[in-house]
Amino acid sequence: MYLSLNWLKDFVKLPKAINPTDIAELLTLHIVEVESWKEQKAVFEKVVVGRVVSVAPHPNADRLRLIKVDIKGEILDIVCGAPNVAFGQKVPVALVGATLPNGVEIKESEIRGEKSYGMICAEDELGLGSDHEGIMVLSDKAKIGQSFADYLNFNDIILEIDNKSLSNRGDLWGHYGMARELSALLKSPLRPYLSNLENKDLHGSGKSQLDVKIEDKSACFRYIAVKINHVKTIESPRWLKERLVAVGARPINALVDITNYVMLESGQPLHAFDASGLEKISIRASKDGESLETLDEKERLLPKNSIVITDGYEPIALAGIMGGKRCAVNSDTESIILEAASFDAVRVRQTSQALNLRTDASMRFEKTLDPNLPEQAWQRAWQLIKEIMPEAELAGQPVDIVNFKLEPSPIEVDFSWLKKRLGYSLTRKETISILERLGFKVDVSKNILAVIPPSWRAVKDVSIKEDILEEVARIVGYNNILSQSPISPLTPLPDNLELSLERKIQDILSGAGRLHEVYNYSFVSEAVLSKLNLDPSRCLRLANPISEQHVFLRPTLLAGLWQDARLNQFNFNQFGIFELGRIFLPAPGEYMKDDRGDFLPYQGKQLAMLFASQDNSVSFNRIKGLVNLLFTKLWPDSRVEFLALENQPAWSQAGQAVAVFCAGKELGVAGLLDNKLANAFGLKLKTAVVELNFKEILELSQSLASNHYRELSKYPPVVRDVAFVVEEKILYNDFWRTLISFHPLLVKAELFDIYRGEALGSGRKSWAFHLTYQAEDRTLTALEIDAIQTDLVNRCHDQFEAQIRDF
Amino acid sequence: MKNKLEKLRDDFLESLQKINDLPALRELELKYLSRKGELNGLLGELKDLSLEMRREAGELANVIKQELQERFNEVKTEIEKKEESAAYLDPTVPGEKITTGSLHPLTLLRRELEEFFATLGFMVMDGPELESEFYNFEALNVPPHHPARDMQDTFYVDLKNKQGEYDLTMRTQTSNTQVRAMRKYGVPLKVIMPGRVFRSEATDARHEHTFYQLEGVMVGKNINFAQMKSVLEAVGKKLYGPETKFRMRPKFYPFVEPGSNGEYTCFLCQGKGCHVCKYSGWLEILGCGLIHPDVLRAGGVDPEQYSGFAFGFGLNRLAMLKYGINDIRLFNAGDLRFLQQF
Repeated sequence: MYLSLNWLKDFVKLPKAINPTDIAELLTLHIVEVESWKEQKAVFEKVVVGRVVSVAPHPNADRLRLIKVDIKGEILDIVCGAPNVAFGQKVPVALVGATLPNGVEIKESEIRGEKSYGMICAEDELGLGSDHEGIMVLSDKAKIGQSFADYLNFNDIILEIDNKSLSNRGDLWGHYGMARELSALLKSPLRPYLSNLENKDLHGSGKSQLDVKIEDKSACFRYIAVKINHVKTIESPRWLKERLVAVGARPINALVDITNYVMLESGQPLHAFDASGLEKISIRASKDGESLETLDEKERLLPKNSIVITDGYEPIALAGIMGGKRCAVNSDTESIILEAASFDAVRVRQTSQALNLRTDASMRFEKTLDPNLPEQAWQRAWQLIKEIMPEAELAGQPVDIVNFKLEPSPIEVDFSWLKKRLGYSLTRKETISILERLGFKVDVSKNILAVIPPSWRAVKDVSIKEDILEEVARIVGYNNILSQSPISPLTPLPDNLELSLERKIQDILSGAGRLHEVYNYSFVSEAVLSKLNLDPSRCLRLANPISEQHVFLRPTLLAGLWQDARLNQFNFNQFGIFELGRIFLPAPGEYMKDDRGDFLPYQGKQLAMLFASQDNSVSFNRIKGLVNLLFTKLWPDSRVEFLALENQPAWSQAGQAVAVFCAGKELGVAGLLDNKLANAFGLKLKTAVVELNFKEILELSQSLASNHYRELSKYPPVVRDVAFVVEEKILYNDFWRTLISFHPLLVKAELFDIYRGEALGSGRKSWAFHLTYQAEDRTLTALEIDAIQTDLVNRCHDQFEAQIRDF
Repeated sequence: MKNKLEKLRDDFLESLQKINDLPALRELELKYLSRKGELNGLLGELKDLSLEMRREAGELANVIKQELQERFNEVKTEIEKKEESAAYLDPTVPGEKITTGSLHPLTLLRRELEEFFATLGFMVMDGPELESEFYNFEALNVPPHHPARDMQDTFYVDLKNKQGEYDLTMRTQTSNTQVRAMRKYGVPLKVIMPGRVFRSEATDARHEHTFYQLEGVMVGKNINFAQMKSVLEAVGKKLYGPETKFRMRPKFYPFVEPGSNGEYTCFLCQGKGCHVCKYSGWLEILGCGLIHPDVLRAGGVDPEQYSGFAFGFGLNRLAMLKYGINDIRLFNAGDLRFLQQF
């Protein structure tokens, strides 16, 4: 929204010394955000007054003429198509480089073979009216070469307000409301909105000729309809047009301009209907399938529950948003019905949104407006109409339907509470003065202020004592309240096991694990899920996704990691990444949804890693190594196992996925991405992945005791190397379990080599182990160890048909 | 004897000439000059000679011994020099390449802030990202028809409740955890709630539908506006140095009253105005305010007895300012060329 400083000055006196930057800062620090300010002149930058010194026909076009314009010291050649251009006229000339209010940029050009160095402007091109019949001819007083803005005596400052910062303040959507705030801030008196209006001017002769009815009581809280005869759709006077232009509105004709002017001034949108044939007005909800051709000549199907103004039968306007074409003010209009009303904010917003039709009126109504405002607004409009069209007269009494009760009860504010809550010491007198300047009524009894908000605040944003506190604080100025350090008891922070585990994991993986941490979106596309054999029908999805890429809530972090791998394969041929984040599934999770005992869907944290290389075994080996690294660093005594999975995940290479166990607890799955899927997905590198349930890891960390130092053995361990030859199908983990649980003195079995070769015969492999024997209380003898190992070899032979390999 | 000694000398000198590395030299030394070497062997034979011959041969032996030792040392020095220059290592060549991993820039920033707030006694709490309308809106005093609830701004999850309405959102702010924190821990309370939030918004270099916020609340007896300022001033000094100034201006948020924006003097120009702060001298960093009594009530806290303040800021924006990142989409892109810089 734009604010004109001159317009504000109509209502509040501003200190002479104050400059636009000060005003902008004052507004920003106390009321609303000013995005920028500019001089009104700026809209006519590079537009100057010129004098037509020669008019000649265009050799190649009948309708165009070659004009020479004197802009003082320079004569410009301009090709012009206006019929009214004539020798000796003073005209507005837009120079090369100017950008006109209608967005046209002036460039050097060639029109049908003739050069043109600028444009002689019509009113509409300058945003000063709708006239495009011919160029604008200026008065004789205009000085050649003078800037056009100076000719117009433009001296206003225009402030641009961030509309979002006004979202809660319906009362600030007009100049008067903002003037009221400035008056409170600057302690400068505020002029009453209406002046020089006498009561007798406000009653037409005779009874009202209008039949107005609010059928839908919840739609409309106030409806004032006034019939005005003997009006004309003449052009507005210059001062009015300039005001509108200054704040970015487009002059159309005096009747429409006045309704816009009053809206920009008071904040109350008005509407003028052409009164011919319109005797009845009724306000109701739209009916199914009903439509309306709006002013902008679009036939609109009205959304359910829209508020419509009807002529008793059919809609003639979309309440609070836009009028209908049928009853619009037109060049033949002789009488109008002026509407000043108050509509339900939520319904106006819903309709405006459903139709994607936001207007100056709807933007205001959806903020909730003071239902007392229509009265002042129609009177102000009537005042202007009378001023511009003296012959206009009210046709009978205005109709005023009041369908609201706004009697705000006093808000009790304990003055000492106010000071305490602010941490700022101000006097009672000062407080009362601030509130009264803002239009609040204050009664004081002892230490209690009974504050009654004015109707324009009570209707929406002020209802509790904290609101009063805010009013006082912002007028005092947030920045004038000095900071104070809070005093709070010295209590140690409780342990946050979850957070510290997260940090440890991140540190291990990005440190010793040399992985890069990624953050991926929580949403994935159907295409990605299906390509990776992840079933979309088992995932949650968004009701209103904004793109196909982000429709489903990720059921695993792996989808994101594989996408990352696909992206990075063009720049790196080997890399590892991890992510720690939430995944989402339809089943109930652990968070309560509300107070009714329901749970939100599952959204547990997952830890996932991916390693990509040219080779499957390199990748898989690394991933398993990373799992080992992670848990060994977390809990040095924990035992990590990779166990065969009966139900392989759908994304994995057949037989190449394993369950990950640590300290006997199943934590997740590791595996290789299926080659075919990888190809179809566009992933050329071989990727191995692991996904682990973070909550299970957390539970493990709570159950596993911290490391215990084991006394260094006084007796040396004995290490024997043995290689076993077994069938390929024998799984390492089964074999290893047999070794490690075989005898208490066999304390460690470490695989150090896997060999396959012709010497072994096909389908066989050799595992070489370091077997460590140790006793806590003595040095073991060779004899003792021989005996155990012989038994072990026999046992392995019996159980796995394992044979000893001769080196 | 004399002949033997001279032969030994000649043999030695001949061998010595051929030698050009240290191990061979050592071998030669062992063969001739060591305690059990040939020279000492010959000297041992001296005792079998007559006294005069012993004296004569003894003198000769000493001369030869000295000569051989000198020659030996010369050659040794020479070879050592040669080998040294041959084995010369350029001490300025780079060391072994040990690759590293990296933490995400938002992880780094989160930790920095979590640690900072820990020094002020704030704990860290995590909250759900898929959140009910109740905690995301209702409990935060955002009424049913408030624009913030629009589907244009908020992602809803495609699961309808018993009334046939969508009531599950992707949280639009970390404030959803405010009420959860009050309900879980009661008062007094000092907690920060960092996390991922979502807005239904088209993405470009400056806009993201998925980003991070850090929310903080402090609730207790007599918590006031001036105290909120003091904590937020400390945050500014932490972020941008001890000279940083803090400025507040009114801003409406449904869950606070009064509500405010918070700006810090631009770290680049110290408030003079530059391209980073769009020539205003101020960086708009946070939203804050005294917690609305309805929100306290939703958290089971009596607003007549307790009060509190809340603040929140966008971590992506802070990280972009801190690291000079110019495209917000990089945070969720998984591009190693970006990530490995941290």
